Amino acid sequence: MGCSASLPDRNSTARLTGFNSESNGATDSKNLKVKLVLLGDSGVGKSCIVLRFVRGQFDPTSKVTVGASFLSQTIALQDSSTVKFEIWDTAGQERYAALAPLYYRGAGVAVVVYDITSPESFNKAQYWVKELQKHGSPDIVMALVGNKADLQDSRQVPIQDAMDYAEKNGMFFIETSAKTADNINQLFEEIAKRLPRTLSS
Amino acid sequence: MNNNNKMGSDPIPQQQQEIEIEGGGGQLSPSSSGYAGGIGSSSNSNPSSEIESSEIQHGENNSTSNGVVYDSASWVPGKRHDDEVSSTLQAIISFVENGGDCVNFVRAGKHQLLVILTKSVNRCFEKNPKFDMTPLLGGTDVVFSSLIHSFSWNPAAFLHAYTCLPLAYPTRQAAGAILQDVADSGVLFAILMCKHKVVSLVGAQKASLHPDDMLLLANFVLSSESFRTSESFSPICLPRYNPMAFLYAYVHFLDVETYLMLLTTSSDAFFHLKDCRIRIEMVLLKSNVLSEVQMSLLEGGLYVEDLPIDPSPRSGYLSPHLGHHRPGTESPSRCRDANPGIGGPAGLWHFIYRSINLDQYVSSEFSSPINSSHQQKRLYRAYQKLYASMHDKGTGPHKTQFRRDENYVLLCWITQDFELYAAFDPLADKALAIKTCNRVCQWVRDVENDIFLLGASPFSW
Repeated sequence: MGCSASLPDRNSTARLTGFNSESNGATDSKNLKVKLVLLGDSGVGKSCIVLRFVRGQFDPTSKVTVGASFLSQTIALQDSSTVKFEIWDTAGQERYAALAPLYYRGAGVAVVVYDITSPESFNKAQYWVKELQKHGSPDIVMALVGNKADLQDSRQVPIQDAMDYAEKNGMFFIETSAKTADNINQLFEEIAKRLPRTLSS
Repeated sequence: MNNNNKMGSDPIPQQQQEIEIEGGGGQLSPSSSGYAGGIGSSSNSNPSSEIESSEIQHGENNSTSNGVVYDSASWVPGKRHDDEVSSTLQAIISFVENGGDCVNFVRAGKHQLLVILTKSVNRCFEKNPKFDMTPLLGGTDVVFSSLIHSFSWNPAAFLHAYTCLPLAYPTRQAAGAILQDVADSGVLFAILMCKHKVVSLVGAQKASLHPDDMLLLANFVLSSESFRTSESFSPICLPRYNPMAFLYAYVHFLDVETYLMLLTTSSDAFFHLKDCRIRIEMVLLKSNVLSEVQMSLLEGGLYVEDLPIDPSPRSGYLSPHLGHHRPGTESPSRCRDANPGIGGPAGLWHFIYRSINLDQYVSSEFSSPINSSHQQKRLYRAYQKLYASMHDKGTGPHKTQFRRDENYVLLCWITQDFELYAAFDPLADKALAIKTCNRVCQWVRDVENDIFLLGASPFSW
């Protein structure tokens, strides 16, 4: 699967549960808490990526997200530090575009998702990258994610195009499939590794 | 609005019908029943009739002129824009059955648009008359198709009132108390609902939630699957509260049917609302509110078969079935002479009671012979027409109406405090039907603590 970053060892992480209290704002270098926002065109699979990551589920019936859903998940890294992701899964519909700042304001991580079978969604992803460069936090960690990588036969966005674009914009790039779970955990583990360790949340 | 002519509700055929429309009060109230006026008000001690009538007048004003969009002319400046908006709804409207209240539906549809977009969408039309709003509505087709469906089964759509899930008074009080707690901490509205029925709701001081907005809000939440997946925070507009501005709604399903909506004006309030929800959920679980809600959903409600034979004493009576209706459990108060399969006493098949002061209604559960969805829809349309004929401004407010056709005897009785709509067997005896309506009113009043949200109504502030 097209992943430009070196894959971390699959066994290096373990899911933690029971870290769902929202009030522990205090973070140290071992236990980070970070706000993550998913942006991208409607139908590219943002919610599916999150639900695969947080609940290990995949539901093929499309459920249009309204506004934004909030989910959280904590992962443990090899060095025994933990990262708690507070995830805003935003609606991809155009009417919510103007409200996106509400959700990406203060985000330490932005995951911009497109569908590898839809060039239009890749264009939309570039729109979001520009928007984040203009209005997002200056030190935001950005990931470009080509989802639906299981649909290789219908691919319309060449992997090289996306890699080039990601590199030019200082983004981490990965292709995922929420359906098969390919690279979903890797995506979040890679993000966790790239977080500045002195993150102010 | 080109569809008005085609879609307008048919005049009710006058042939083969026995119709009496009476303007004076009290005709339905034989003196022997002991009813005077104030049946169905929330309190036993009625305020003076003068105050009540002025309140009613106020309500009528609200529906037409307090800056709230109701007719097409005020929807957007310029008819052309209106046509644009309407055209978005055209396809939808074409599905609405001929007997439906189409004008009402178009209004509701426009308001549902506002829930999603706010009236600021008008600016787009002002800038560009050819503006295509279709992309803005992406993914909302389910919301509108669910709204259409409401107009074939949900009495709230034409009554402009909401209904509560039947619950023991202390249970609803417990839910209301924790919601009030939250409202005091800066939440504009805290609403706990189960499907389309209100468990409890509170508003911040002076904030009032219109029943029409509640219908649209519940429709929006229930028809959008993503709300069930995880907690969410979404901009939302309540057209009757402020058609120009978004509020922010924290929505969380506590179980499959029961959901909490916390509305605020602050876009930064998510974590506060989340904390509120955690507190509320804990209290609801501890005090068993959620399990009682589930019980009521399965077994609660008013059944015409349970209509008490004799008017009960004014206080102290509670239907043993209310909120705990168990099929097969025989009760001494259950109507003895009601044959199973033919409804309640005197051929009573169904009723809807709307409390004017509370802006709430209660509808009896459907039972035989109104048990197929076809029959339920037909009765629903009959009620809609009855409502329309009783509220037709041209002919003045009617106080009573008795109508007999091949399908039903329909009885409507409107006082300052309540509106009663009742359907009987088409062969029902008129005098008995009238007497039965009085008993229904008494019954509703006897159990009002359990079927209505009292005292906490935002409309009472």
